[in-house]
Amino acid sequence: MRILSSAPHIRTRRTTRSIMLDVLIALIPATVAGIVFFGWQAAVFIAISLAGAVLTEFVWYLIEHKIWRGGRQVLADWAKQFDCTSLVTGLLLALCLPANIEGWYMPLLGSIFAVGVVKMLFGGTGKNIVNPAIAGRIFLFISFVLMTVYPEANFGAIASGDLGSVTTGATQLHNLLEHAPTLSALDLFLGTGVAGCIGETCKLALLVGYLYLCVRGVIKWYLPLLYIGVTGLFAVALEGFDFTFFLPSILSGGLILGACFMATDYVTTPKSKLGNVLYFVALGLLTAGLRKATGIEVVSFCILLMNFLVFLIDLAIKPRPFGYVREKKEAKK
Amino acid sequence: MIVKPRASLRGISIPGHKSPTDRLSAERLPLPAKVVIPLAQSIGAPAQPVVQIGQSVLRGERIASASGAVSASIHAGVAGTVKAIEARPDGRGGTMECIVIETAQTQEDAFLPPLQDPSAEEILSRIEECGIVGMGGAGFPTHVKLRPPVPVDTLILNGAECEPYLTCDDVLMQSKHDEILRGAKYLAKVLNVQHILIAIEKNKPQDIEAFSKSDIDVVPLKKKYPMGAEKQLIYSCTGRKVPLGKLPAHAGVIVQNVATAFAVCEAVEKGKPLIERIVTVTGGGIMQPKNLICPIGAPLSALAEACGGEREAVKLVSGGPMTGAALTGYNAVVTKTTGGFLFLTRDETNTQEPTPCINCGRCADACPMKLMPMQTEFYTNAKEYENAARYGGVLACIECGVCSYVCPARRPLAQAIKTAKAELRRKS
Repeated sequence: MRILSSAPHIRTRRTTRSIMLDVLIALIPATVAGIVFFGWQAAVFIAISLAGAVLTEFVWYLIEHKIWRGGRQVLADWAKQFDCTSLVTGLLLALCLPANIEGWYMPLLGSIFAVGVVKMLFGGTGKNIVNPAIAGRIFLFISFVLMTVYPEANFGAIASGDLGSVTTGATQLHNLLEHAPTLSALDLFLGTGVAGCIGETCKLALLVGYLYLCVRGVIKWYLPLLYIGVTGLFAVALEGFDFTFFLPSILSGGLILGACFMATDYVTTPKSKLGNVLYFVALGLLTAGLRKATGIEVVSFCILLMNFLVFLIDLAIKPRPFGYVREKKEAKK
Repeated sequence: MIVKPRASLRGISIPGHKSPTDRLSAERLPLPAKVVIPLAQSIGAPAQPVVQIGQSVLRGERIASASGAVSASIHAGVAGTVKAIEARPDGRGGTMECIVIETAQTQEDAFLPPLQDPSAEEILSRIEECGIVGMGGAGFPTHVKLRPPVPVDTLILNGAECEPYLTCDDVLMQSKHDEILRGAKYLAKVLNVQHILIAIEKNKPQDIEAFSKSDIDVVPLKKKYPMGAEKQLIYSCTGRKVPLGKLPAHAGVIVQNVATAFAVCEAVEKGKPLIERIVTVTGGGIMQPKNLICPIGAPLSALAEACGGEREAVKLVSGGPMTGAALTGYNAVVTKTTGGFLFLTRDETNTQEPTPCINCGRCADACPMKLMPMQTEFYTNAKEYENAARYGGVLACIECGVCSYVCPARRPLAQAIKTAKAELRRKS
């Protein structure tokens, strides 16, 4: 029997799973940096979050397919359709949490919420309206006060074995918005001595991941740069064009993590190129503006907000096929 | 002379798979015991048979005449006896009206007299008499295309052959370089144009080399699919955009395939109607991939036999892998527009179940017409065809198949677009 199907008869080797694996690979440097800076607590957080995300998806799979018993076959079937999106969600969620080990339940609750409510309840992969990891983080942020206490990234913590020395404090961003930049741009870039979430402090590691994503063609290189650039420039403008604010504002908080890995999430960005440019510029303006207005880190809130507007952007932009422009010009004449 | 192409529009890079056959010169297919010649081989009305059952015909004799303004005559690919004029399975699950000819022992030709230094009118009527159609795939009758509604100033010969696997145009360009050039001159004479270009993808350097020594301009195109699609080709070669819904002639250009130019040359100089063509039989599922010179109507079974039979082929395709049609079996025959038959293995077809769209935008990035295939599929699945046209732009689709090829979720995007187009056409 021959396979009968409509053309084309050959397909690329790229799959959703391979794209998600690329995102995971791109997050490895940030993950390693987070564990080095924040110690075993960070590793525990990441493990809990990943397990929570994958288990939630697995349980959902069992319920959805009404599987109440079965052995290895169920696992094999599940593994076959597993597209690694929940791993990305789990890892991203952990990377945007502060590693306060007292709050070990946070990554668990967050990942269950992110995958169970935000993704699966809306129809699973590709159907969620907002980014699951962002929604999970905001769910935790508005639920637990521990989310606002950030440990300081301490490179020496592991080396000395003195894990108790990890102190808590406000983020550099908070200091910045109080008009007192306390850390050098190099410290901010490398993440040494910066207080923050697990994955967001070491900008070097994030940029390595960003480059990997660009080389592998997972994201368009200009979109994160657009977001970061617009945020920095608008922040400078808001401070009366004091350019000393440029580097601290783009290197502080979760901007680079958000711009490279969260705002670029396919499902929750517009479909057209023009729509994407609009979306990322709007994100930049919103982030700088809200940071100035509220004095807290707002990257995740901005992305959540813009996620809701994506469908409006998509409805507003209609394709202009090849050959269209010329016709319009002629009509004008 | 070599002319640099314009920056090309989008499109994608696809592994060529041309190496099994691109160095093999075309072999003649052993004469099949019978040929099955479909009456509808080109765009437009099917030809009307002018022979009776039992009548014996010579090779090149007209067996069916054009009917209507857009139609092309059909000639016998072999000398023999007409055995039947009937509906036969077309190999795609449907049927088609065919003339079946049993091959005679002795082959005798009945060609038209050669033309010496012909005028434009003579060439045009010769092309019409010889039933020449566009051999690139669409099969538009050439004599109709050569009477454009507005005057044109450029003739482009399409030797891009951007479809993977196929090498029929490549081997033709390698061996029949002079004939193609002379054919192009005849075509240019009919159109009264001075500027002739030949567009060849860079993966055929020896062809570019050969044509660059002639007096026409050669455009070495970037190896990209679909570079050979008419509108994209015109843009790469001349920088002109064909306005939506208009003909290439409105951009002042006529595009002809290199195989068509060759057929025109044969028709003018030898009086030979379009009765045979080069067909690439290739793919991982055939024992010996080959380029075969086949009479029109040669059954696929004869071609497969000449290539040593199949192995582990799960999919048979008539035409290229991006735009060809899947076949149910060996019922298919060679027509004027058949560039190849592919025997694809499971690994090559890479068939998988579709997974949900993740909105990655690869289809829109790759679309050479700048459309939004994911929107089209979304609205087509919801049966909202007007929205599919509004947000997806389906009506401008050239059906190149790029969207489905790049989709990491394996969604049948091209198929959805075809459905939407058919529904919209049905409603209007």
